Formats: sequence, structure tokens, C-alpha cells
Amino acid sequence: MLPRGQPLLLPASPAFIWGSLIVALMLDLLPLGRVPWMPDFLAVVLVFWSIHQPRRVGLGAGFLFGLALDVHQASLLGQHALAYAVLIYFAIMIHRRILWFSVPGQAAQVLPLFAAAHAITIVLRLIGGGLLPGWEVLLAPLLEAALWPPVSWLLLAPQRRAPNSDATRPL
Amino acid sequence: MPLETLDRTPPPFFKQGPSALSRLVVFSALALVLMVADARFKLVQPLRAAIATVLYPAQWLALQPVQMIEDGTGYLTELKTARKTEEAARRKLAAQSQRAGQVEQLQLENERLRQLLGLRDRLTVPGTAAQVLYDATDPFSRRVVIDKGQLNGVQPGSPVMDESGVLGQVTRVYPFVSEVTLLIDRDQVIPVMNARTGQRAVAYGDATPRTGLLELRYMPVGEDVREGDELVTSGIDGVYPPGLPVAKVAAVDRRSDSSFARIYCTPLAQVQGVTYVMVLQPVTDQLRLAGVGPSATPASAPASAASAASAAAAASAPAAKARPATPASAAGKAGKPPRAGNHPKPQGGKP
Repeated sequence: MLPRGQPLLLPASPAFIWGSLIVALMLDLLPLGRVPWMPDFLAVVLVFWSIHQPRRVGLGAGFLFGLALDVHQASLLGQHALAYAVLIYFAIMIHRRILWFSVPGQAAQVLPLFAAAHAITIVLRLIGGGLLPGWEVLLAPLLEAALWPPVSWLLLAPQRRAPNSDATRPL
Repeated sequence: MPLETLDRTPPPFFKQGPSALSRLVVFSALALVLMVADARFKLVQPLRAAIATVLYPAQWLALQPVQMIEDGTGYLTELKTARKTEEAARRKLAAQSQRAGQVEQLQLENERLRQLLGLRDRLTVPGTAAQVLYDATDPFSRRVVIDKGQLNGVQPGSPVMDESGVLGQVTRVYPFVSEVTLLIDRDQVIPVMNARTGQRAVAYGDATPRTGLLELRYMPVGEDVREGDELVTSGIDGVYPPGLPVAKVAAVDRRSDSSFARIYCTPLAQVQGVTYVMVLQPVTDQLRLAGVGPSATPASAPASAASAASAAAAASAPAAKARPATPASAAGKAGKPPRAGNHPKPQGGKP
């Protein structure tokens, strides 16, 4: 059942887009120890913006953020960059279709994207002579898909504000 | 309704730039080139350093809340635990102070004996204390990041130890931080010596992930290795100073179908959740600084200066130093392998 009557959204402010990406990067930089199932907040936010604003956030931004994450995690330089480039490419490919679904439906559709991104990093490291990191990494794409509804709600909130605020609708 | 609501620029019909697919191809190729350059040719260190420098403020900012929470929970720990740890620390200090006194005396004695035998002075190893900022989250390797970098004089290859043993080695140095690869990383290798028998061996990192053990490879089945044996650095690699504690043998598995025993050891250093570490200078570096050769000429003056303790005694017996090192080789023939005290690198031999 497709949702009827889309709300008319305000235009997204570029400052908010880049601010949210920086905040997601900071969440990824939090030194919480070695947790293999930790969801990648930056990937979720990048996919969100490349679905909602594909003309503002693209492959180049994802590539640069990926390089930063590679340096932070001391992994192979370019590993996250490639994963994010592929992730954003698929997000741009499905961006016209996916917005017709409800938010849980969208989450189900982005799950394969996140799984593919994690599979890319694992395959790259296996080629580089690594070992499988354990089954906990399978949880990461699931958690990232589970983050999709709250992230959509949060990041669309500024665009849902009333165009002209007054006493009855302050926001 | 004000106009801003509808104030969207429509997507351009024709000028849309390169397609997403062509961009994907370009960026994937770039990423692959970077990965190959990183893994095979080690060419991307300047790029890494630049990114690390740009990223440093963000990392510092992300560190603050976590450290604040840690400090807060540390403040709220029970008085009892605090007392207990203090008592343990005092006891350890008392034991160590006695030992430290002995070490002073033994060092002096050792120096005199070495001068009599015509051996080179032992190098003292200067070190800097550092704090571990975070565990690198890459699930394929075991690394930590410390808060001292190029600007603090950290060099790639420096050994790193914590209060109980060798922790690993600095593998990448950035301007403000450095990466330390732990001993249990699967690509890390350390030459060790069994402190009980004097037998030398090589300890490899964790081949099966997540066990956190070291493996002594290529040890024949008949070799005298027992559970509980302590392994120290042998010092023949030119990186680790000799005699640092590394690991304890945890399990010895002798099989009839293999000519090598499987020997697993637990590292003595705290590989999980270590906070403070010591970064030592690589031994080869000090050799280079010191100028090689135990001659009594003024050229060797920096060599004695490098070891502050030996500086006083250096001038006293220049003649004894010039003697050939036959007693050392005699000791070697007597069945005992050269102990850790011998000079770690043969290149530092006679002039």
C-alpha cells in the first residue's frame, strides 16, 4: 500500500546536510573499543542524503569520508572509500523508487546495500591476506538498516517545519 | 503561502555532469590504486599523514566525552577498590625498590666485568611515556593508537611496552599520533629467548583470530620447553632491547605426526584495554647515533655519552677495551648460548 499524500517538504539546507554528515563521522570516531557489530552511522547518513538529495551528496563526498575512516581505523587505505562509493552508487540508482515506500519498507530495501558494503570490505581484506573477523560483523548491516527509521525521522525533521511559523506552530 | 516553500531549482535537463556509473568507475579505480599502493608498495604514507592531521581535531573532540565518562566512573569507584589497588601498588613498589637497588649494583659490576672482558657497553634505552587514545576498530588487525607522534620524536619501528612486558611496535607515525601494532597481530613477529634455558625462538602473532595468544613456531618436538617458561626478548633483531619480558608459555602440544611442537604463549603485557605505555627507541637507531665500534678513540665519545651510567666508567679502562674478545667466544663454546648481555648486533664488532 503506497502512502497517499506526501507532505510538502521545505528545501534541505546544505549546512544541515554537511553538519549531519560531520556528526555521523564523529559518532564513528568515538573510541568505544573493538566492537565488530558496531553500526556505521556515517554509511547510514550518506545513504540517506544520497537518496533524498542525490544532487548534493554524491560519490565524491563518500569517497573522501571513506578515506578519513580508513586512516582512523588503521585499515587498508581505500577500503572504506570503495565501499562507500559502491553504496552511494546503488543508493542513487534506487532513489527514485524507494521514496514511494513507507519508512520500514525503505529500511528493508537499504539492508542489501549495507550488506553489500560490508561484504566488499571483508572480501578486500580476504584478498589482502586477512582472516574472517567472526560472525558478529553480520549484525552490523542489520543494525544499520534498523537505524534507518530513526535517522529518516531525525534528518527530515527540519524540512517538515512549517514554512511560516506563528504562535500556534512555533516550529 | 510564501514563495520559499516552492523555491527549489529544478534539476537541469542536460547539464548533469558525468553519470553515476562513470563516477563509480573512476572512484573505484582510484580506490583500488590506493589500496594496492598501500598494501604492496607502501607509497601512501604522506597521504595518510595529511588525512590524519586534518582528522586529528575531530578525533580529539570525539575522545573527550568518552574520557569524561571514564573519569567519572573512575571517580565513583568504591573506596575499597581504591584502597586495595593502592595497597597492591605499594607492595609492588616495595618489592621493586629492593630489586632496583640490586640492579644498580649489578649494573656497576656488569660494566666492570665487561670492561675486563673487552666487550662493548650495554646500551641504555631512552623511552617516552605515552597514553593509548583508542583501540583501532579494524577487525582484521590488532592495533592501538597512542598520543605521541612525529612531533614528539617517535620513530617507526620503536618497541612499545607497558608495565609488565612488551606490547608491540610502532608501525605508522603521524604528526600527532602513532599506530602501535600489538604482538598478537597476525603479521607481527618478535624474536624471543627462553629465560630458563637460553634457547632462542621466534614468536608469531595470533594466526587464529581472537584467541589473543602468541605462537612459538619451528621448535622441534624434542626441545626443552615447559608450560610456565618465561620468554624475554633476545635482542638479536636490532629493534627490541634484550631482556624485556614478552610472554609465558601457556600450552605445549607435542604431536607424533609433526616434527615441530605447537607452543602457545600468553603475552605478559595487557593487550586489551591498556592505558599507559612506554615507547622505547629502536636499538639500531641508538647504534647509529652512538657510532659503532668499541674503540677508545675520541670518536667513540658519543657512544659512552649515550649510556649515562657508563659515561663515568668509560675513561677508566681504555686499555682493557682494546683487548680481543676471546673470553666471549670461549663462553659461547662452553655450551651456554650468548646471553642477552652480548651486543645485539654483530655489526658492532671489533674495529
